[in-house]
Amino acid sequence: MNDALNVLSPNRVISRQTLRWLVGFQLVMLFFIWIFTPTVFLPKPKEVFQALSEMWMQGLGGELITSFYLNLQAIAISSVLSLLLAYLTVVPFFRPIVTLLSKLRFLSMVGLTFFFTLMATTGHELKLYLLVFSVSVFFVTGMAEVVAAIPKEQFDLARTLRMSEWRVVYEVVILGQADKAFEILRQNAAMGWMMLTMVEGISRSEGGVGAMLLNQNKHFHLSAVFAIQISILVLGLGQDYVIGLLRRVFCPYAALTLERK
Amino acid sequence: MAAPCTYGKTLLKVEDVSLEYDGRPILKHVTAEIRDIIRPDCVQGQVVGFLGPSGIGKTQLFRIIAGLNKPTSGRVTVNGEDRPVQAGEVGVVAQDYPLFEHRTVMSNLLLAASQKEKDSKAAHDKVVQYLNDFELLDKARLYPVQLSGGQRQRCAIIQQILCSDHFLLMDEPFSGLDLLMLEKTSDLIQKVANMDELNTIIVVTHDITAAAAVSDHLWLMGRDHDSKGNPLPGSHIVETYDLIERDLCWHDQIITHPRFVDFVREVKERFRTL
Repeated sequence: MNDALNVLSPNRVISRQTLRWLVGFQLVMLFFIWIFTPTVFLPKPKEVFQALSEMWMQGLGGELITSFYLNLQAIAISSVLSLLLAYLTVVPFFRPIVTLLSKLRFLSMVGLTFFFTLMATTGHELKLYLLVFSVSVFFVTGMAEVVAAIPKEQFDLARTLRMSEWRVVYEVVILGQADKAFEILRQNAAMGWMMLTMVEGISRSEGGVGAMLLNQNKHFHLSAVFAIQISILVLGLGQDYVIGLLRRVFCPYAALTLERK
Repeated sequence: MAAPCTYGKTLLKVEDVSLEYDGRPILKHVTAEIRDIIRPDCVQGQVVGFLGPSGIGKTQLFRIIAGLNKPTSGRVTVNGEDRPVQAGEVGVVAQDYPLFEHRTVMSNLLLAASQKEKDSKAAHDKVVQYLNDFELLDKARLYPVQLSGGQRQRCAIIQQILCSDHFLLMDEPFSGLDLLMLEKTSDLIQKVANMDELNTIIVVTHDITAAAAVSDHLWLMGRDHDSKGNPLPGSHIVETYDLIERDLCWHDQIITHPRFVDFVREVKERFRTL
């Protein structure tokens, strides 16, 4: 009973069972609101699930795989590039370069697309370049800030243990911030899905779920749009879970001090 | 009567160290020396209490002694070597006992041990020995955040001992401790000091009584004053107290002794003039 009352009090920790009840209740409420909402433009659950079945027959599964593969490739390349650049900010020479790159996150894709088209030889490559660029400018910004925020005491500790400066970087910056790198990866991998629609809209040669979504939206097939969005959501949640799992496995210390584990 | 002892070789020497920031003197001609104390039939390490008001430059000197910062002029040498101290030769236990949070206690200590001991089996045995001596063996698999303050302090001390050359700088080890923990920390400092004849601990603190209770020498850091009583820029060690000469160290329950109480009062009065 006390636990049930705690759900409305600030800074309270609730049991896993209460949390499950809470999530279940809120999902049911959401479902009811969806069913009974008076908005005529919002497709009803039945229509969405029917559309989902139809889209599946039209190859939604294959398009999801195409997009997932593209996103995975982009995340992998972005992670390597961004982490490398962020870690290199320990060297003063690279700090202005990384700062400049992080400012590029304000730019729109217009114009840049032309530049990337000249570089790419296939439609897949073009989408990959665009996606890598879009994700990396955010990834490198987040990670460079993590590196800059490492307290001096951690560097001193490593130095008092007779480590060379590169070993200090490995121990304090790379290993010591691995949990935060996973968290930033998680956020940026989700952003990758958001940008995928835009990128697949620019180059539709391979299809993909983004191109499919834009086609359905163009014809105002809202139930099909919702069906595709739900598929992306499920896939994204799965991806989020896997990255979270990797973080828990490789960085089990990260959650030890949290109030809400 | 003072306990019989003689002095051996110089272990740590602060030679005319000065430090300036933007032309502003922080430390001025700081000179001090720690020598090996030799007592018949016992292993006797050295403990020096390093006192001074806040903002006097203790931390700056602390970092120079640790080899983490370079002075503007002068140098610090250890073990009689004719070169400035390098980071790692003097262990540092900072106030909040930093450890690598991403490593377990065992992993933190193995990392330190392996910096000096290349044979991994020997390094492991050494770590286990220390964990056993410091009653932390059952905590070996825990992460630093899972340790209590006292356990964390012991772990940080072991980590630095494993890697340094007998020297340990401790920053405010008595800060915020209750009476029981204060006694435990004092015992721990004595224990670490007396583990090896050459072990030398410098305790930087504001707590005059606690410092006097564990130390064989006290360094008091302060500034000179002009004729009007205004402090002149640049600190140095204004007073060195030899507690061996005064027969105030290596006694049980020394803090209850009237001579000790008088000595602490004397230091406090000098402290107020700094």
